[in-house]
Amino acid sequence: MKGFIKNLLKALNVPEGEDETPSPPPASAKAAGIRPEPVPETPSAEEPASPEQPAPAPAPVRGLKPAKPSDQTLPTAPAPLPTKGGNTPDSPVLTLFFEVHQPNRLKPYNFFDIGNDPFYEDDDLNRKILDKVSERCYLPANALFTRLLEEHAGQFRMAMSLSGVFIEQLEHHRPDVLESFKKLHATGHLELLSETYYHSMGYHRSKDDFTEQVALHKAKLKEHFGVKPSLFRHTEQVYFNEFAAHIERLKFKGMMAEGVAQHLNGRSPNHLYRSPNVKSMPVILRNGQLSDDIGFRFADTSWDQWPLTAETYAAWCAASGGDVLNIALDYETIGEHQGAETGIFDFWEEFPRLWLESGHRFATPSEVVDELKPVGIYDCHEPTSWADAEKDLSPWKGNAMQLEARKKILLIEQAVKDHDDAELLHQWRKMQTSDHFYYMSTKGGAAGQVHDYFRPYASAYDAYLYYMNALSDLQLRVESGEEPVREEIAPDPNYG
Amino acid sequence: MANRVDLSFIIPKADPNFLVDQLELIGLNNLEDLQWDREKAEESLENYGEVTWVDGAIARSLFPYGLEEEHHEPGSLLNSTGTTVVRETTKETVRAIQRLREVGLEDRLTMFRDDNLYGEDVGERVWAYAQIAATLAEEREFDIVHAHDWMTFVAGMEIKKRTGKPLVLHVHSLAYDRAGPDARGWIYDIEKGAMEMADLVIPVSLYTGTICTGHYGIDKSKVHFVHNGADAVKTFRSKSPFKHGLVLFLGRLTGQKGPEYFLEIAAKVLEQNPGVYFVMAGTGERMRGLIEYGAFKDVGDRLHFTGFLNKEKVNQLLSMTDVYCMPSVSEPFGLSAIEAAQYGIPAVISKQSGVAEVMTHARKADFWDVDLMAKHITELLTDPEAREEAIRYSLQDQANCTWEAASDRIIELYQSQLGLS
Repeated sequence: MKGFIKNLLKALNVPEGEDETPSPPPASAKAAGIRPEPVPETPSAEEPASPEQPAPAPAPVRGLKPAKPSDQTLPTAPAPLPTKGGNTPDSPVLTLFFEVHQPNRLKPYNFFDIGNDPFYEDDDLNRKILDKVSERCYLPANALFTRLLEEHAGQFRMAMSLSGVFIEQLEHHRPDVLESFKKLHATGHLELLSETYYHSMGYHRSKDDFTEQVALHKAKLKEHFGVKPSLFRHTEQVYFNEFAAHIERLKFKGMMAEGVAQHLNGRSPNHLYRSPNVKSMPVILRNGQLSDDIGFRFADTSWDQWPLTAETYAAWCAASGGDVLNIALDYETIGEHQGAETGIFDFWEEFPRLWLESGHRFATPSEVVDELKPVGIYDCHEPTSWADAEKDLSPWKGNAMQLEARKKILLIEQAVKDHDDAELLHQWRKMQTSDHFYYMSTKGGAAGQVHDYFRPYASAYDAYLYYMNALSDLQLRVESGEEPVREEIAPDPNYG
Repeated sequence: MANRVDLSFIIPKADPNFLVDQLELIGLNNLEDLQWDREKAEESLENYGEVTWVDGAIARSLFPYGLEEEHHEPGSLLNSTGTTVVRETTKETVRAIQRLREVGLEDRLTMFRDDNLYGEDVGERVWAYAQIAATLAEEREFDIVHAHDWMTFVAGMEIKKRTGKPLVLHVHSLAYDRAGPDARGWIYDIEKGAMEMADLVIPVSLYTGTICTGHYGIDKSKVHFVHNGADAVKTFRSKSPFKHGLVLFLGRLTGQKGPEYFLEIAAKVLEQNPGVYFVMAGTGERMRGLIEYGAFKDVGDRLHFTGFLNKEKVNQLLSMTDVYCMPSVSEPFGLSAIEAAQYGIPAVISKQSGVAEVMTHARKADFWDVDLMAKHITELLTDPEAREEAIRYSLQDQANCTWEAASDRIIELYQSQLGLS
């Protein structure tokens, strides 16, 4: 009984033991999962993802479900919000989402390279990591999910977002892996979501460039997968009201975001909501608790719920209430951040079957926004993300180095564009990839361990110095011939 | 100087393959057999028992040269003060002296065979060095003991005590420079005690001489400065991508060198002239803080850090540099400004430096006068005439700065102050 309540609390995001906090990974960060999972933004996919699938079998759930009794007995449990007509089960439809991305890491670019070396990236390292993750994650996970999607003939469905720079790396180095993603997509049960091509976060400085990067990503998806995404999710699930409004103006029918406790005000993330700034576009909120159970804690042997079985997890999901449960993860948590020896592949092998067998269903984000209506306003006026324990932008703008670097790269937009040089523009945009700033984080504690795990340099300071050296070179190339101008800097808005 | 006098160097560590004419080089790391007088050493230990020998974390925190870059988490400063540490000091003092009594000569010699001479037990090494050096000195014929800086001052005192020969102390750097005017402690005590006992004190500049006589209260009549020289070097210029100028800071990133002021100066210059670049070459315990402060001051894309550079890289950097800036808070000499002059680089240096006495035409300002420093730099970068003139003068100044002149002066002092002919 005790265990049940505990699980229930867990499922409901009710803090209970220390283990509940979706805080960053434990000391064993490396072995354990790693980065906090993202909150999906709701993309509206008009994608072929589920084209022919017959309206999902009538396990149809949808809509509101009366809170399960236990929900109501728990004072902290969110009272279920009535949605439009829900039919059945009192458990949510599950929408599963993976972020797939690899940055172009910079090499240790030193002072003497400035003005002499226009190549900033560590090609060897990037190639090496791509190969490693391909063998440990992308290939085996794609094979697994391709088989599962086929086996379950439309009952099991999922969504992904592949960054443009990631697809580009595959084009150059691992066409076989790209092929495996295409095969996965060809099952017809994978929805691809829109994001920025460069996995960047520059919206707050330049809506124009942001929008161009979204268009570039769209074109890339079209080129390789022949689809046009209809739902958006921003880099690392960044989301806030005004941003949602912009996404709506871009004609997306939905987006994803992290369900952040202080903006939910005690409500469950397991519903569609909308921003007060949009006309109607809904947002799908990621269930951080349940997502982090797999993304963070699955391989953490010190977790009191370890080892987590697919059965237990399915039970937690079923008990989590609401209309739609969004589980959103880094794809690399399967096999890379958490190696095969942790049993993560077995987990995913079993989970879809168990979920379906217990009378539940999966839906793509597009289906979710088509079927459900927002139950209320999610008033997120500050930018949030799925990262670290703070679920804000502190992983990328938490110290002076990060603030300066991300500001300065964006400030040279016009100068770069004046050159009308595609290569230069591409290089400038690659420098906007959020990972560069993530490496400069000086956070300590468990979040710091996650940053350390991902950082390819000795310290945050090295990451910053190499970046700024490369930036100086880029500035010199951009300014060449002209009088240097340090643009007046508008105060960094709260968001972005 | 070896041409004029016979020299024997007793140094903690020497390369046995390094041989120089007219120069005897004794490295403690190479000594095999040595007879020594335990009684004398014991007696000496008694005398120095008053010195607070410390080791461990305390010695590290006192150690002037920063053994490694240490990062202090914000808010953790309190960790290194307070009662715990005080208790530890007392305990450590007793322990260190006991340990010294226990070790025999052989153990003392092995101290000098380690790769790292400046470990946490540097206090014990200084004492052990003094004992061994004194033992060696007793077997030799010589007229003068000439010791350089605090790590050999104890040996100088010990030799003078045992042999009665005149003690000359050459002062290149003091605790005052490294740790500030408020610095007190065992190193300060060694410096003060040794200078009081010395027959002649030779600081490397008038500036440092005033610290010996003022701050340390040493009798003016035995303090006579001798400026350092500089070896002529082959210099070159190389192409720089920084068309609006590159300003160099070269040195340890430690409080004495004033790296924070350099950063402030850079920010000031950039207000007027955003195309100028700055580079800080070197490493030190302030590095992380400086990097973050640079980002905060919004100059991270104009002020770059190289970390530690070898000589070859330093030369490469000098060959690209347009202005050398040395905002040291207290710099006994500042040889690097002369090296820069050899590269034809005009310098902006702090008044609190010995080299300011030699570079008579260099632009100077108080280390804290960021505005004036920035003004000097801007002029040197934007006014070709001023720049030409500065380069011409600095080449003249550095040409006057030779080791021959320095050794002549030292021998003159031996004669005039110690009565040796």
